[in-house]
Amino acid sequence: MTTEMLDEAAKARALSDDVLDASGVTLRFGGLTSLDGVALRMVRGEILAVIGPNGAGKTSLFNSLTGSYVPQEGQITFRPRAGGEHELRGRKPHKTSRLGVARTFQNIRLFGALTVLENVKVAVETRQRTDAISIMLGLPNARRDERESDRKAHEVLSFVGLGHRLNELASALSYGEQRRLEIARALATTPEVLLLDEPAAGTNPTEKRDLEVLIRRINQELAVSVLLIEHDMRLVMSVADRVVVLNFGRKIAEGTPGAVQQDPAVIEAYLGASAEDERALVAEVVAEREEHGAEERPDGPPGAAGAAADDEEGRA
Amino acid sequence: MTAGVTAPKVPSAAKLRKRSWYQQPRWHRLFALVVTALVLAQVTGAQGTRGDLFAALEENFSGGAVWGWLGLAVAIWLVREFAHELLGRYTSRVKEEAGRPAERPGDLTPSGGFSPAAAPVWLPALLARTVRFVTDVVRGQRLYRWGSMAALLGLLIVLPLMVSTFWQQVMVDQIGMFVLVAIGLNVVVGWAGMLDLGFIAFFAIGAYSSAFWTGGLPVEPPVELNNFLVIPIAVLTCLVAGVLLGAPTLRLRGDYLAIVTLGFHEIVYLTAKNWTEFTGGSRGAPQLDRFSVDLGFWSYEWELDPRPYYWLQLAFVVVVLLLFVRLEHSRVGRAWTAIREDEVAAAATGVDTVRFKLLAFAIGASTSGIAGVIYASKLGFINPEMFVLLLSVLALSYVVFGGMGSIPGVLIGTAVLVWLPEYLRDTVDPQDRYMYLGGLLVVMMIYRPQGLLPSRRRQRELRMAEEGSGSADALGARPGGAQA
Repeated sequence: MTTEMLDEAAKARALSDDVLDASGVTLRFGGLTSLDGVALRMVRGEILAVIGPNGAGKTSLFNSLTGSYVPQEGQITFRPRAGGEHELRGRKPHKTSRLGVARTFQNIRLFGALTVLENVKVAVETRQRTDAISIMLGLPNARRDERESDRKAHEVLSFVGLGHRLNELASALSYGEQRRLEIARALATTPEVLLLDEPAAGTNPTEKRDLEVLIRRINQELAVSVLLIEHDMRLVMSVADRVVVLNFGRKIAEGTPGAVQQDPAVIEAYLGASAEDERALVAEVVAEREEHGAEERPDGPPGAAGAAADDEEGRA
Repeated sequence: MTAGVTAPKVPSAAKLRKRSWYQQPRWHRLFALVVTALVLAQVTGAQGTRGDLFAALEENFSGGAVWGWLGLAVAIWLVREFAHELLGRYTSRVKEEAGRPAERPGDLTPSGGFSPAAAPVWLPALLARTVRFVTDVVRGQRLYRWGSMAALLGLLIVLPLMVSTFWQQVMVDQIGMFVLVAIGLNVVVGWAGMLDLGFIAFFAIGAYSSAFWTGGLPVEPPVELNNFLVIPIAVLTCLVAGVLLGAPTLRLRGDYLAIVTLGFHEIVYLTAKNWTEFTGGSRGAPQLDRFSVDLGFWSYEWELDPRPYYWLQLAFVVVVLLLFVRLEHSRVGRAWTAIREDEVAAAATGVDTVRFKLLAFAIGASTSGIAGVIYASKLGFINPEMFVLLLSVLALSYVVFGGMGSIPGVLIGTAVLVWLPEYLRDTVDPQDRYMYLGGLLVVMMIYRPQGLLPSRRRQRELRMAEEGSGSADALGARPGGAQA
């Protein structure tokens, strides 16, 4: 890096402490544009929610940020606390994870044949460097790493409240517990940014309240910036510092939860026509969530129609 | 979301589950068994002649043999499908009785007293409880585990002294060799979940490295080495070959990967066969050195007696197992399982999938290097026909039969399946030996797909598949998550 570039980076940092800065992210699948020049700035330590109708490109955005998809255009800059800048576009998923960007999946993807503890240990151990030979010979560094991974996994699991189910199979957990285990697995990689893809989907009201508390604790106690995709408006409104609204792969609004709720563009995206009553918005979102996953969406808002929705579901 | 989605799905799922009698898996299994019986009756029976093509069919399907085979098939089916349930009801009573905790010898008396009418229940229960009580007491000793291992090892050490030379040869040339290969194949297939149909290629590479470095090939090596020194070189060569095979297959999974490994095997086989200047072509390497130790004051040479080779193999198997057992329950083993379960999630969690897959190929291939050197040096000659594709398929079937991913399973599976055709040599027409093996495999895969001694992780996968919350094909590899 030249000094000039360093200066520029320092200047940018001084303006705002962004942990993630994506600009002009464009992702196409053949003729279909899933993300169209999306810009996303995430301030360090905030909880940022991404909302939008089905097929708006939320999960595509997550996949682009974590390396599962490589957007054709755009820049995604990650600035860890330790300093430096990393371009995330086109970086391999496991390298992104090691930099400090962890994620969960919309459809739970645990290692079902491993126990709860082992699931988390897999994540802890990605930070370890013991080679196969030291492990086979049982050298002291291998034993130390194993103890360390045990300790860290226990710690993370009791943090999310699964400390009592360590030796249970991951597939034997309830849906809400599986969601929490996914979060634990992501946290075990000691991320600076945590991407949660619909963490409340399929959970009951009690679990949702627990989740809300958990997200806050992750944000405050662990100082992790949280990027959240969520359809549950109550959760988004109560937990998010800022909200970004996507529709048709474009960002149509950004701001505090209150401001976004009033935004005519957002209301139009959700309801298909302008309406003032914000309760109608919430009602629509709830109704939509219930239809989510059904093959046909009867009177879906125009924003979520057809191919785009199928695309996101199919590839997620 | 789920509540909304799954609620209407339950009745339709129930409808799907309600099938006509002939659609039940039980009848499918009977059909498979009967077909197997008919095939075996035909194949193990008389041969056809050029003059009368259907003579064999007539002969085999009219004699008593066909009824014998069919009877056996139906008997297996009846026992597995029905007697199982009846027995199950009885054994659950026994189990209940035997399951009461026993902390002192006095606690062993049956709960209902020693009433003679209930003797069929309490007698086996009492036996089971006594056995469990004793093993609990013994197991309480820390020595138990190591003691039983040592006893088993001791038995294996003296075993060749108790059997005929024929069986000694089988133990070295086949069981010992295949055990070493299968332990390595288990790493690739059982732990990392990559289907490898060409594993004997590594074994061939090990054997040819041995021939090369001991000066048995037409090409002179830089230095001629003792067989013991060749072992690390052969292991390294196999490691490199494993990585070379692994590299182009990293993006492939399941069936596609299997085809590539098949091709790899053919490449190695044909190279050995056709590159006459280097490998000696189909004639192979006819004269190879045997193992020898020369320490100046003491020297020993392995000669025709198979037993010293057996002990050498046993020593290597023990060392390899000690190393691999650690690996299975370490970060490496867990990472392999994670990749096998869900590669996308593993990568997103930070597991370097490329590195761990290559590691599995390399570590798996390494044991074949040892096996190859011992094999070549024991026989004193090698040629390409010793490394045909059939052996790769057999090695894979040993691993699957024993229980993928389970070390004790792989050891026992290999031993049983290698032993069986040799045992049958004297009892049936030697040409048909492998047909019986095939029949056994069919029955096994129908009724016990997890293998003889399945690993705990594999058992869980199969249970998940039965409950419908996941899928476990041959490899447990599936693109989606556990739930969606």
